Amino acid sequence: MTANGRAMIHLEGVTKVFYTDEVETHALATIQLEIKKGEYVSIAGPSGCGKSTLLSLLGLLDSPTDGKYWLDGKQVADLSLSDRARIRNLQIGFIFQSFNLIGDLTVFENVELPLTYRGMKAADRRQRANDALERVGMAHRARHLPSQLSGGQQQRVAVARAVAGSPLILLADEPTGNLDSKSGEAVMELLRELHRGGATLCMVTHDPRYARHADRTIHLFDGRIVEESAATAAS
Amino acid sequence: MDAILQDLRYGLRMLLKNPGFAAVAVLALALGIGANTAIFSVVNAVLLRPLPFPDPDRLTMVVSVNPAKGFPKFPASPPDFIDWRAQSRVFEEMAAVDGAPYNLSEGTEPERLNGSRVSASFLGVVGVKPVLGRDFLPEEDREGAEPVVLIGHGLWTRRFGSDPGIVGRTIALNGKRRTVVGVLPQGYTFPNRSEVWTPIAFDHDELSGRGAHYLHVFARLKPGTTLEAAQVEMDTIAERLRKQYPDSNTGWGTLVSPLSEMMVGKIRPALMVLLGAVCFVLLIACANVANLLLARATERQKEVAIRLALGAGRLRLVRQLLTESAILGLLGGLGGLVLALWGTDLLVAAGGDNLPRFREVSVDGRVLLFTLGLSLVTGLFFGVVPALQASRPDLNETLKEGGRGGTSGPGRHRLRSALAIGEIALALVLLVGAGLMFRSFQRLLSVDPGFRPDHLLTLDVALPETKYPDGARQTVFLRQALERLGALPGVVSAAAATTVPLAGGVISYSFSIDGQPEQPPSNRSSARYDAVGGDFFRAMGIGILRGRGLLDSDVAGGPRVAVISSGMAHKYFPGENPIGRLIRIDNDHERAPREIVGIVADVKHSSLDGEAAPHVYEPLAQAPSTWLTFVLRATVEPMSLATAARQAVLAIDREQPVSEMKTGEALVSDSVTQPRLAMILLSVFAAVALLLAAVGTYGVVAYSVSQRTHEFGVRMALGAGRREVLGLVVRQGLVLAAAGVVLGLLVAAGATRLLAGLLFGISPTDPITYGLVAVILTFVALLACVVPARRATLVDPMTALRCE
Repeated sequence: MTANGRAMIHLEGVTKVFYTDEVETHALATIQLEIKKGEYVSIAGPSGCGKSTLLSLLGLLDSPTDGKYWLDGKQVADLSLSDRARIRNLQIGFIFQSFNLIGDLTVFENVELPLTYRGMKAADRRQRANDALERVGMAHRARHLPSQLSGGQQQRVAVARAVAGSPLILLADEPTGNLDSKSGEAVMELLRELHRGGATLCMVTHDPRYARHADRTIHLFDGRIVEESAATAAS
Repeated sequence: MDAILQDLRYGLRMLLKNPGFAAVAVLALALGIGANTAIFSVVNAVLLRPLPFPDPDRLTMVVSVNPAKGFPKFPASPPDFIDWRAQSRVFEEMAAVDGAPYNLSEGTEPERLNGSRVSASFLGVVGVKPVLGRDFLPEEDREGAEPVVLIGHGLWTRRFGSDPGIVGRTIALNGKRRTVVGVLPQGYTFPNRSEVWTPIAFDHDELSGRGAHYLHVFARLKPGTTLEAAQVEMDTIAERLRKQYPDSNTGWGTLVSPLSEMMVGKIRPALMVLLGAVCFVLLIACANVANLLLARATERQKEVAIRLALGAGRLRLVRQLLTESAILGLLGGLGGLVLALWGTDLLVAAGGDNLPRFREVSVDGRVLLFTLGLSLVTGLFFGVVPALQASRPDLNETLKEGGRGGTSGPGRHRLRSALAIGEIALALVLLVGAGLMFRSFQRLLSVDPGFRPDHLLTLDVALPETKYPDGARQTVFLRQALERLGALPGVVSAAAATTVPLAGGVISYSFSIDGQPEQPPSNRSSARYDAVGGDFFRAMGIGILRGRGLLDSDVAGGPRVAVISSGMAHKYFPGENPIGRLIRIDNDHERAPREIVGIVADVKHSSLDGEAAPHVYEPLAQAPSTWLTFVLRATVEPMSLATAARQAVLAIDREQPVSEMKTGEALVSDSVTQPRLAMILLSVFAAVALLLAAVGTYGVVAYSVSQRTHEFGVRMALGAGRREVLGLVVRQGLVLAAAGVVLGLLVAAGATRLLAGLLFGISPTDPITYGLVAVILTFVALLACVVPARRATLVDPMTALRCE
């Protein structure tokens, strides 16, 4: 699947400054970024360069200190907390490095969780959660608790949770960071499949092997985009 | 020993390091232990501490009983007492007592004194010896003996400047000079809070009146004699007297009861309920502290794991953790003791004069021992489960660098939740108890006493028989007093009676009605009796329902008249008109017929919660008395008349003291001292329980929120809004509250049956009380969740996720 030219994400002059005590930390500086629908973008760079901060801004977990952010054509930089929560729920799917599954909920309940916040009917939720689990090959573990799964399996469940709500964009923060290479490869294959199926994907990684899977890689350094490169090896 | 000292040092250091935790735990325990100590000091003084007499276990009271007439405990008549004393062999001594007020007219100001007429053997029975002078001689309680008196230490100090030469001096009591033969020990005022004791000498009339029951009989068992043996012998004597005097003694028996039981038996159930209530408060406090310790155990997992890794045995660790609990318990006990010292002062002030032995309430050695023991047991009780839990962490996981040492497992969370549920349930039981007592008390106060207590002043006058020996002189005094009192500015009407409702005094006489079958005296019905003067019914606000009241024209020598209560009319004249019928009252030998001229409303004479007994009234002018209670209906605040009223009486007789000045509202209020105190105390304990349960619920929910920060971050990242997060936390609190409320309702349904005897006009399972309490408790639990729930909504998902 290739990008179709319509900007899903558009950042213009986005900066992020953290204030701690009397120290100002410029995490991101005048970021200009566009991600098109169906595009697979990876964000790379050394530790502390602002990758995760950028992903948090894209995921509306945080708001920029300055600049503008359009998501699917709508200005979202200055939304209220509840509006941001609603957009996160409807339009964004998260995949975290440490899976972030809720230990007290079963695999099925974890996948179903974002759908419950939409006020969706139980039958629809069940259908979507089961479909998502089928897609990642984890339907047979639906009644298990996360603690009964391997790391790789937990990340597959996290992917299922991210896609269950059919978001506009999937944001993945080092999705293989806590996995062994075999499991990591399997998860990356899953993401590639999703991309092939039409998903827009933005992934933070500092592993060049996985960055190469993306259509485009954005290199960050000291909070600035220093380089953008197209993929050299197609999957 | 070294290890224990080390544990103590370390325990103290840990508490000092966490002053917030220590302060909350000590405060919760202080509330629980303080409430227990305060109530135990009452139980100790009232129920446990022996009476302040030598061999108190041998002290008994012998009372008359007549179940058929509804007299489960009744005073004895003089001839019965004489026979009991002469015929019984089980008692070392037996003595009769009759409460008697005395007017002391030594010096400038006459003073009304509480006093007792006692058998010469009385001090021998109770085992008290005068500190100055001597006891009564056996011949001094016979008719015609020299008039003598024993005086109390307080009176000796107050009025006679502790004059060592008081013995042998004469003092004027009720207008009669009596020789002081001795001074009794400091603090001794038994019975009736007496300050003077005179020998009781029965005249011929008294010795022949078996129907006149007014003596309180005290007896000391011979060493080795049991109460049962004494009862058997007294039963035999009563049986003999029934055969010998069938007219007067048919239906009458005797009951031998320990003196302590007679004095405090009535208050025992209320004290037991309060003791149960404070146990609940302590349990809630323990649950609270256990919860705090469990939370802290989670924080200390790493420390415990390191100790275990370094080779500490589990028992050693548990001991160290229990030492910390014991320190908390002891500090709580210390705080509780301070609260209890303050609380017992309040309790004594609230119930001192109206409840038995309350003046003796103090924190003594036994109370201190109780508090120490309770503090240590409490420390172990709330500490043992957290200590056992804390001492078995997952070493491998906990000791890993960055390992999840700061989270609690599901088992610990369940335990904390169970403790909170238990707290809510216990608090609900206490709240239901307090609610029932409150509603019962409200109903008691809403009872119509049959008279109007507002704007009413009552004052007692006891005329000395030496000065007012006959009815004529008593009537003159009465008329003059009514004139003067009635003329006081602000007084609408003045009246007098032998007793007034709810003041404690009750007079009963048997009677017969002309035209109905004549019965022997012992089978005659009894009614409350009062002689009244002035416009009594108007002054008291007692409605005249039929006929007329008693008038000034109902004078001595005129036609004898009486007024009866509505209840008496219904009971003894069913379907008839009592007006014009003749009634004969056994208050004199003549048994002259009185014409019933009126029917008045029923009055609750003994207590608000009792039935209004049949009551007969006759004019004081036709049945004069030396015991008078004046009643003033006022347009002004009644107590503002006190000085003027006293002056009015003194203007007639400058040696005549006035005592027991009380407003009508105080009469009602004093009559409900015990239920009011029980209601107030139970409410205070329930409020403390509610507070502790709210803190407990808050603690569990707040801790859970702190543990679930990451989860909330995830949920928010997935699109949960503030409302969803708020709902999640509040729902958790409400689940705890609902479980606690259901459990509490079940326990309360059983436990409140113990309250049944203390309730008036309300069932122990009153659904309104249960419903209201459940709603209140749920609402408070909801409030307790709001703060942590709000905190949960403020979780920054990015920060929460980064923590991972």
